[in-house]
Amino acid sequence: MAASGMANVQGMAEATGAGWRDRLLSAGARCALPVYVLLAAGFLAPLVTVVAFSFATPRSFDAFRSFTLANYAAIFDPANTVWLSFAWSIALAATAVLILLLVAYPIAYGLARVFGRWAGLISLLFVFPLFVSENIRLYGWVLFFIRGGVLDGTLGYVGLSAPDVLYTVGATLFGMVYVYLPFMLFPMTLGLSTVPRDLIEAARDMGASRLQIWREIELPLAMPGVLIGVLLCFVLSVGAVAEAKILGGQSIIVITHDIEIAFTYAQNWPLGSALAVLLMLVVGGLTLAVIGRIDLDRILGRR
Amino acid sequence: MSADALGPAERAQRRSDRLIWTWTLVVVLAIYLPILCGLLASLSQGRYFRFPVPRWSADWWTRTLESIEIRLLVQTSLKMAIAVTLIAVVVAFFGALAYARYDWKGRGVFQKLVLLPIFFPQPVMGLALLLWFSALGIQLSWQTAVFAHLVWIVPVVTLVMAIQMYGFDPALEEAAFDLGASRLQVFREITLPILWPGIWSGALFAFLLSWGNFPLSLYTTGPDTAVPEWLYAKMVAGYTPMVPALGSMSTIAAALLLLVAGLALRLRRRRVSP
Amino acid sequence: MTRPEPALALAAADAMAREPILRLSGIAKRFGTVAAVDGVDLVVPEGEFLTIVGPSGCGKTTLLRILAGLEQPGDGAIVLRGQVINDLPPNRRPTCLVFQSLALFPHKTVGENIAFPLKMKGVSPAACETRSRELMRMMRLPDAYFTRNVTRCSGGERQRVALARAFAYDPDVLFFDEPLSALDYKLKKLLEKELKDIHKETGKTFIYITHSLEEAMVMSDRIAVMRSGRIVQVGTPEEIYTSPANRFVAEFMGEVNVLAVRRRPDGLYAADETLGPFRVAGAAPSEGYIVVRPEFLRIVGDGAEAENVIAGKLYNSYSLGSRMQYRVRAGDRLLIVEQSRAAAATPQIDSDVVVGWDSRDALFIDD
Repeated sequence: MAASGMANVQGMAEATGAGWRDRLLSAGARCALPVYVLLAAGFLAPLVTVVAFSFATPRSFDAFRSFTLANYAAIFDPANTVWLSFAWSIALAATAVLILLLVAYPIAYGLARVFGRWAGLISLLFVFPLFVSENIRLYGWVLFFIRGGVLDGTLGYVGLSAPDVLYTVGATLFGMVYVYLPFMLFPMTLGLSTVPRDLIEAARDMGASRLQIWREIELPLAMPGVLIGVLLCFVLSVGAVAEAKILGGQSIIVITHDIEIAFTYAQNWPLGSALAVLLMLVVGGLTLAVIGRIDLDRILGRR
Repeated sequence: MSADALGPAERAQRRSDRLIWTWTLVVVLAIYLPILCGLLASLSQGRYFRFPVPRWSADWWTRTLESIEIRLLVQTSLKMAIAVTLIAVVVAFFGALAYARYDWKGRGVFQKLVLLPIFFPQPVMGLALLLWFSALGIQLSWQTAVFAHLVWIVPVVTLVMAIQMYGFDPALEEAAFDLGASRLQVFREITLPILWPGIWSGALFAFLLSWGNFPLSLYTTGPDTAVPEWLYAKMVAGYTPMVPALGSMSTIAAALLLLVAGLALRLRRRRVSP
Repeated sequence: MTRPEPALALAAADAMAREPILRLSGIAKRFGTVAAVDGVDLVVPEGEFLTIVGPSGCGKTTLLRILAGLEQPGDGAIVLRGQVINDLPPNRRPTCLVFQSLALFPHKTVGENIAFPLKMKGVSPAACETRSRELMRMMRLPDAYFTRNVTRCSGGERQRVALARAFAYDPDVLFFDEPLSALDYKLKKLLEKELKDIHKETGKTFIYITHSLEEAMVMSDRIAVMRSGRIVQVGTPEEIYTSPANRFVAEFMGEVNVLAVRRRPDGLYAADETLGPFRVAGAAPSEGYIVVRPEFLRIVGDGAEAENVIAGKLYNSYSLGSRMQYRVRAGDRLLIVEQSRAAAATPQIDSDVVVGWDSRDALFIDD
C-alpha cells in the first residue's frame, strides 16, 4: 500500500502536465540536495582535509602539497606511546557498550512492553538529558563524588567517608555509561517494539519457556535495533573526550584528547590528522558495515 | 479481572515487571542526580561546594543573572541556537521528504549517508572542522559554530521529521488535488498542517541540541564563547557557584521550553478535535 | 454460444443509444515491464452505475486512477462529453474519486471536509456552510456533526462524509475505489443500498470498482469484468451471470462446475472414457468446456431424471441456510450441487449418488 502510495506522488506530479514529468522524476533527489550540499561541505570536505593533512610533512601546514607516511610511522613506532591512547579508547568504549547493553535492556523492554501509557513520559525523562550539555551533567557527578561533596557528606552522617573514585579510569567509564545511555536505549526500544506481541503469545502457546522465547524470537527480531545501539554507543564513546577530562582527570589520555593536543598545544596538525584518520577508519568501517545491512524503512516504521 | 488465582507464569511476569520498574526508576534517579547536585551547589552560600550545605543562599543566582559577561554568553548561545533552528528546519524538512515520502532512485543510499554524521564522535568532528576552517583561512566565530552545529543537527532533525512523515497518507494529498485544489493549496491546506507537529518537534530538537552543544562549540566558536564552553573553562579553573547556577538555569530553561512546546502541541490537537 | 434474452438486448441497445458520457479507447499503462492496463475500450452512458470487477492485480485500480487523472495513460484517449481530457489535471476534471481509505482530512471537521471543494473554488464561507449542511442532510448525517472532527466518526459515518464531500465538488462522474471493503457485513449491506439510492436520486454516473461479486451484482446497471489489464466482458449482472464469455468470467462470478469435453464422432461430448457422453444444446465447436452452475445440477434417481448424468460418491454436504450444497466426487473431479432444502433427503456421506443436469441449463464455452 505504501509502495503504491509513493508512486502515486509521482503520478500526481505527472498529472499536472507532461512538462512536469521529466523534472519531477527526481523530486526526491531535489529535496535531498540541500542536505547533500551541507554534508559535502561540512562533513566530507573536512574529513578529506584531515586525510590530506595526515600525509603532510610533520609539523607543517602544507597538506595537498606534500606526501609522506612519516606521521603514520610515528604512530606505529613502538617507542611512541600514543597507541596507548588508542587502546584505552577502544577498551573503554567496548566496556561501556557491554555495560550499557545490560543497563539499557530491561529499560528498553519496559518501554516496549511493560510501561504502557507511562512509556511516553519515561521516554521523555530519558530524552531530556540530551538537551543538557554533557559537561554540566558530568560536573554534577564531580560535585557528587568529590571530597566534601554530596556522597562524602551523606556518608559522613553515618561516620563513613566516600571512596576516592574521581579521577580514575573507573570514573571515566562511569561517565561514558552515563552520557551514552540514551543512545543505547532508544535504538534498542525501537528494535524491541518491532516484535509483534502475537508472535510471543503464539510461541508460548506452543510450549516455549520464557528463556526460549527470548532467545528464539525476541532477540533475533530486535537485533537490528540492538545492533544500531551498540554501534552508535561504541562509535561515540571511542571518540569521546569530556568524560576522560572531567571525571578522569589525568588518569588516562584518550585518543581524541591526543588529537586535540596535537592540533592545539603541539601545533602538529599532520600528526593529529593521522591519529584522526585511524580513528575515522575504526568508526567509519564499523558504521558502514552495520548500516549497510540494515533495512531502515522497516525499523523507522514505513508500512 | 479477578486476581485471586494467578498462575505461576503470571506471577513470574508480575515479579519481572516489578523488577523492571524498579530498575528503571533507579536509573532515572541516577540520571537526574548530578543535575540535582548542581542545583544544590548553586544554592550554597560559600564559594566552594560542601555537602551538607552549610548555608543556603540565592546570592549566586542573582549574581549570575546580573553578570554582564554571562548575559553576553547567553546572547551568543541564543543567536547560534536560533540560526541553527531556522536553517535546520528548512533543510531537514526537504531532507525528510526525500527520506520518507518520495520514492526515488538514490533513496536507500541517501538514507544511510544522512546517518553518518550522527554515527561520528562530535569532538573529532569539531576538530576536523577546526582544521578545515583554518586551512581555508576562515575566521572562527559563532557563525562557524552554527555551521558546525548544522552538520550534526540537520541529520538528527531529518530523522525526527522523517519518522513523522512515514505516517502521512499520500492519498490525502491526492484527494485534495482531485477535489479541485491547486498544488499550492494542497500544500497549505493539507500537507503543512498535517506535518506541522513533526516540523515543530524538529525545530525544538534543533534549538535544544544547539543550545546545549559542547564539543562542537568548543572547537569552532573561536573568540566567541557559548554557555557550555564558559562553564567548562570555569570547571577546570576558577570555579565559582555561578557555574552550577548557570548550568541549572540553562537546564531549567530547556525544561520549560519543552513543557511549553508540549502544551502548545496538545492545545492545538484539542482545538482541532472538539 | 450465448442467448441473451430479448429484453436484455433491447436494454443494452437502449443504453448505447443514450449519449455516452465517457468513452475510453485503447487505454494502456505500463509500470516498468508490467502492463497494468493493456488496452481498455469502454463506453459509459450517462447516469449509469458501472462496476468494474476483477481479482487483485487485474488493473482496475490503475484504470480508475487514470480516469481520475492521478496517473497518465501510456496510450489511449479518455473522452468526457466529447472532449479529450487526457491532459486535464485532476483538479480540473469534472470527476471525483472516493478513495479506498476515504482520505478524509484528519485535521478538519466534518463540515470543513465537505466544504473543501467549495472552498477551493472560492465559494464564500457562508455559502460553503449552507451547502455543507444541505449535503449532510442528504447523506443523513446529524446536523451536530458539522463541527465534529472526522476522526471521531464511525465507519459508516465516514463513508457518508466522503460521499458528501464528493458531491460537494459536483462532478459529472464519480469514481469509487472499493470504499466498502473494510466494513462489516451489515454495514456494507446497508451502505450498498444507500449508495444505490443516492445514485438513483442524483442521476450521476458512478464508476465503481470492487473485487466482491456480491456488491457488483446488487448495485450495478452494468458490470465490466477485468483480467490482466483487459476488459473481458461487459454486460448487465444478469448477462454476466447467465452468459459468461469465457471460463474466467464464469468462475469469477461464483462457484461453477467446469468439464473439459471433446466432441465424439456421434455428436455427443465426452470428458474422457469415464465421464460422458453428454448432450450439448445448440451448435458448438469440437472442443470446449461445459459449464453448469450448482443450482442447475441436481441429485437424480428415485423419480428425478436428467438429460446428462454423472455417477459419483458424496464427499460432503453443507447447509447454506435455505439451500443445501453437496460436493460429489466423480473420478478426480469434485462437482458442486446446490438444491433447496425441501427438494430431497440428504444422502449419506460416501454413499453412491448420481447427479445430472439438462443441456439447456448448461453453457458451452470454448475458452
